[in-house]
Amino acid sequence: MAELLLDSSIRIWVVLPIVLITFCVGIIRHYVTQLLQSDKKVDLEQVSDSQVLLRSRILRENGKYIPKQSFNMRKQYFNDAETGFFKKVKRKVTPKNPMTDTSMLTDMMKGNLTNVLPMIVIGGWINWAFSGFVITKVPFPLTLRFKPMLQRGIELLSLDASWVSSASWYFLNVFGLRSMYSLILGQDNAADQSRIMQDQMTGAAMAMPPDPNKAFKSEWEALEIVEHKWALENVEEELMSRDLNFCELVLHD
Amino acid sequence: MASVSEMYDVTWEEMRDKLRKWREDNHRNSEQIVDVGEELINEHASKLGDDIWIIYEQVMIAALDCSRDDLAWVSSPSDMSSSSEQGTCLQELKRQFPGSQRVKRLAGMRLEALEKYEDASKQYDSILQDDPTNTAARKRKISILKAQGKSAEAIRELNEYLEQFVGDQEAWHELSELYINEHDYGKAAFCLEELMMTNPHNHLYCEQYAEVKYTQGGLENLELSRKYFAQALKLNNRNMRALFGLYMSASHIAASPKVNATVKKANVKYATWATNQINRAYQLAGRGTKENKCSVKAVEEMLESITMS
Repeated sequence: MAELLLDSSIRIWVVLPIVLITFCVGIIRHYVTQLLQSDKKVDLEQVSDSQVLLRSRILRENGKYIPKQSFNMRKQYFNDAETGFFKKVKRKVTPKNPMTDTSMLTDMMKGNLTNVLPMIVIGGWINWAFSGFVITKVPFPLTLRFKPMLQRGIELLSLDASWVSSASWYFLNVFGLRSMYSLILGQDNAADQSRIMQDQMTGAAMAMPPDPNKAFKSEWEALEIVEHKWALENVEEELMSRDLNFCELVLHD
Repeated sequence: MASVSEMYDVTWEEMRDKLRKWREDNHRNSEQIVDVGEELINEHASKLGDDIWIIYEQVMIAALDCSRDDLAWVSSPSDMSSSSEQGTCLQELKRQFPGSQRVKRLAGMRLEALEKYEDASKQYDSILQDDPTNTAARKRKISILKAQGKSAEAIRELNEYLEQFVGDQEAWHELSELYINEHDYGKAAFCLEELMMTNPHNHLYCEQYAEVKYTQGGLENLELSRKYFAQALKLNNRNMRALFGLYMSASHIAASPKVNATVKKANVKYATWATNQINRAYQLAGRGTKENKCSVKAVEEMLESITMS
């Protein structure tokens, strides 16, 4: 297919405005989300549980630095058949149903409002306002199946699929400007739509596993199989074999 | 009185960066912070922008340390002439963040500094009512008990706190200090073990643990202490205290009548190695100074005297 020569005013009046619009809408979305964000209430028990699990994990990983007796004492505290923490403590678990739990419902609605709605509105407006001509050519060849998707409003059968219309340029911008947002707004900003869409797909990705009992059980199993191999068994020999030169070099200042 | 910027010839940006560095490293050089911070607040408040709030907090805590009550909170409105621009730290913070718990905690700290412990305690209780997970308020309450000298109660409260917040290393360290003051070395050792597990590469915790074990006494504990002194040395070759500790624990074990010959020989070997290292360290350190010979001789004599006893 021959090269098309596009009017340079397309560049000024279409390409750049779409970039600007996408960018500004993204920034506005970020600030609106921050304004609408509700405070996250932290539960004391949840914090406490997460710290206990952390401690047990540290015991497993770094237990070799403390004496054998201390390690066994702690292991017994956690894992003992009757009085161990993981055996004794059962937390009441209320499964958080997204339909009935009010706080999660409002959060979801807010998320939808601030992200999906502008995208649809602006996408539609751009489609209506900038229709009937191609904007740009993507640098890689595309198959014909992309034509109805990327060339809305242009009914030319022989046009290369690489020539795209304004709507596709808009969507390209939405995902492409993500790194610009992190440059300007810092990491973890609310204008990052793709991340939000990922979150919606994975479902309830809340802070702690909603079932602490399961977490306790898996931690109990992991702790059962750990053995204590004291790291300080031969520490003096190691120290003296290595240190004779080291000491001198280090004090040499 | 020359201002800091004139004395050290620094610009206000450098002063601000210095304050930030002290803040991030958790330095407690309160006098310096007060000097630098006071000048920044008085002269360059407008240029600081939003940084000024955290600087207010930092300077206020430092001012409480130096009992600069005028800076932390102006008590009388008498000095109207100069204090019109000189808003004081707590007032400014209260004005800007009226409902904030962080500011409430600072108000409580000020009450503590004035020794009004009851009022401070009430203040912290009100913070905890709003937010039961606020660790800062709980810790301040415990430090009130410590300041009043009620160490048994402080220990009890700290234990309860740690039951809920097992991961708070600062609290474990504080508890170990309290136990050491009460001469309860077994429990202090437990706290230090927690710290060692979470920070396996920190030679200071190893060394402190070894010292506690050494103080507890008994053959097993001496062996443990020797091992942990050696570990501290392995982690940091320049830890002189650990080197001395290694020497003392090894020579104590060697001098004890209950050990068999092999153990005795091994410990004598460790002790002599430690002596050599100590001597060498003092010789290297004092190179070129006149006092060198005296200090080296003093160390040698000291080591001999310990061996004899």
